[in-house]
Amino acid sequence: PAPSNSAAPRYKPPATETNPALEDPTPDYMNLLGMVFSMCGLMLKLKWCAWIAVYCSFISFANSRSSEDTKQMMSSFMLSISAVVMSYLQNPQPMSPPW
Amino acid sequence: MKNFYIFIALLFIPWSFSVAKYSEFEDGDDIMEYDDNDFAEFEDVNEDAVTESPQRIITTEDDEEEATVELEGQDENQEDFDDADAQEGDTESEPYDDEEFEGYEEKPDASHSKNKDPITIVNVPAHLQNSWESYYMEILMVTGLLAYIMNYIIGKNKNNRLAHAWFNTHRELLESNFALVGDDGTNKEATSTGKLNQENEHIYNLWCSGRVCCEGMLIQLKFLKRQDLLNVLARMMRPASDQVQIKVTMNDEDMDTYVFAVGTRKALVRLQKEMQDLSEFCSDKPKSGAKYGLPDSLAILSEMGEVTEGMMDAKMIHFLTHYADKIESVQFSDQFSGPKLMQEEGQLTKLPETKKTLLFTFNVPGSGNTSPKDMESLLPLMSMVIYSIDKAKKFRLNREGKQKADKNRARVEENFLKLTHVQRQEAAQSRREEKKRAEKERIMNEEDPEKQRRLEEAALRREQKKLEKKQMKMKQIKVKAM
Repeated sequence: PAPSNSAAPRYKPPATETNPALEDPTPDYMNLLGMVFSMCGLMLKLKWCAWIAVYCSFISFANSRSSEDTKQMMSSFMLSISAVVMSYLQNPQPMSPPW
Repeated sequence: MKNFYIFIALLFIPWSFSVAKYSEFEDGDDIMEYDDNDFAEFEDVNEDAVTESPQRIITTEDDEEEATVELEGQDENQEDFDDADAQEGDTESEPYDDEEFEGYEEKPDASHSKNKDPITIVNVPAHLQNSWESYYMEILMVTGLLAYIMNYIIGKNKNNRLAHAWFNTHRELLESNFALVGDDGTNKEATSTGKLNQENEHIYNLWCSGRVCCEGMLIQLKFLKRQDLLNVLARMMRPASDQVQIKVTMNDEDMDTYVFAVGTRKALVRLQKEMQDLSEFCSDKPKSGAKYGLPDSLAILSEMGEVTEGMMDAKMIHFLTHYADKIESVQFSDQFSGPKLMQEEGQLTKLPETKKTLLFTFNVPGSGNTSPKDMESLLPLMSMVIYSIDKAKKFRLNREGKQKADKNRARVEENFLKLTHVQRQEAAQSRREEKKRAEKERIMNEEDPEKQRRLEEAALRREQKKLEKKQMKMKQIKVKAM
């Protein structure tokens, strides 16, 4: 059947994500986790917390949808970087491994 | 744009490290040294101070000028220290008058005994050691981050290449069948963009429409998350494939009423549990398609046998057998409303909206290790989709089938109504109570006592009428029962 070039109504794509529950929750969880870890790292002066926060914010960024706000991503990223920097300024000793 | 931000932020890390490392060298230790050494020549008893200062020269390492000046001034003393300890005091006091040092004879002994004590090497804290080796954990972390970023870039590019390879392969077929290929919903007029719509680093959409029979077709290329290193590592444990999901929405008049699905057994079992329409209309377990010549890997879920008979024509069977390894599931449904919604108590009072839909889920061959060439093997599957659209339009149930189908749908609706009957009753009850309360409030708020009385009387009369009606009904029922 030939394609209809007549004035048959052509539709715009409907909202592709009508059900937000179906979306992958990973970026949101990772964002939250990253913020929690960076706060822990800042308050408790734990270096490994701050490093994990950096990783979390990277993972959240990699999994994010394009509709997501870049400002949110950047803020969590900057928070984790600042947690790392602050931990090292307060205590320049290198991190000791847990074993 | 995102990549740019990353690189700028990364530049901060080494910069901050360098700041942190060299800040501790701004001690005020140097000043003390000056004080001691200014008077070192004039104080004879300062052997201890003298012994210590050369050590201090060794540990701090900046200001070599200072070191050379002091060394020159204390050259003779240095030579003395190289000799045996006991001789130090003697050699120094010789050029001086003995009388001046009467009280100081113990001092050489004191320093002598001190010199015999073992020299304790102070444990210099790790961050003052000027070696990068002590920071190995940090270096490990940064390496890990760099690896993550590398993987992000590589994965993103690979997904991009796969998507465009798919599109280039399928472009011709799509453009010959659909008038509008590619639309991102932003333009006011419906013009083909001819491009994929990138939703994510691993999901690409394509909307096609402008064909007879169907409202439109949404193609989603759901690739694996190659840009996320965690996902890549997880996939090493549990292999998965890229998927192509196609959803064709049919016009109401172009499809008859039936629910039918075919696919891998595992997929059908999962869909039967998840999907609203499959769970309601296809109550049997997935049946084997061997009767029609389908391979064992595929199973069939159908509302009634007649639908299966109608669907399984020669061409469809040909498609299904030849490309069985790539087919995950195929679902034709006139009652499609998506997966079952998580219902809360008392919330659902209406059946979810349904749309006549054809759904296809295909697995890209390669199970993760796909190359752009693999996309060509998916082209026949697109032909199958087009064929299915036409078939769905042509296929009509006969009279018996239609009756059965209508009965099924009525049954489902009735069940739903029964379930929600209680809820609807409660909703109606609460609405009535609300009305009464509103009225009472109005009466109370009336300031004019006359009006108040009149409204109260009207309300009383209405209630009496209602009571009478109820009594009449009860009487009628009693009479009928008799």
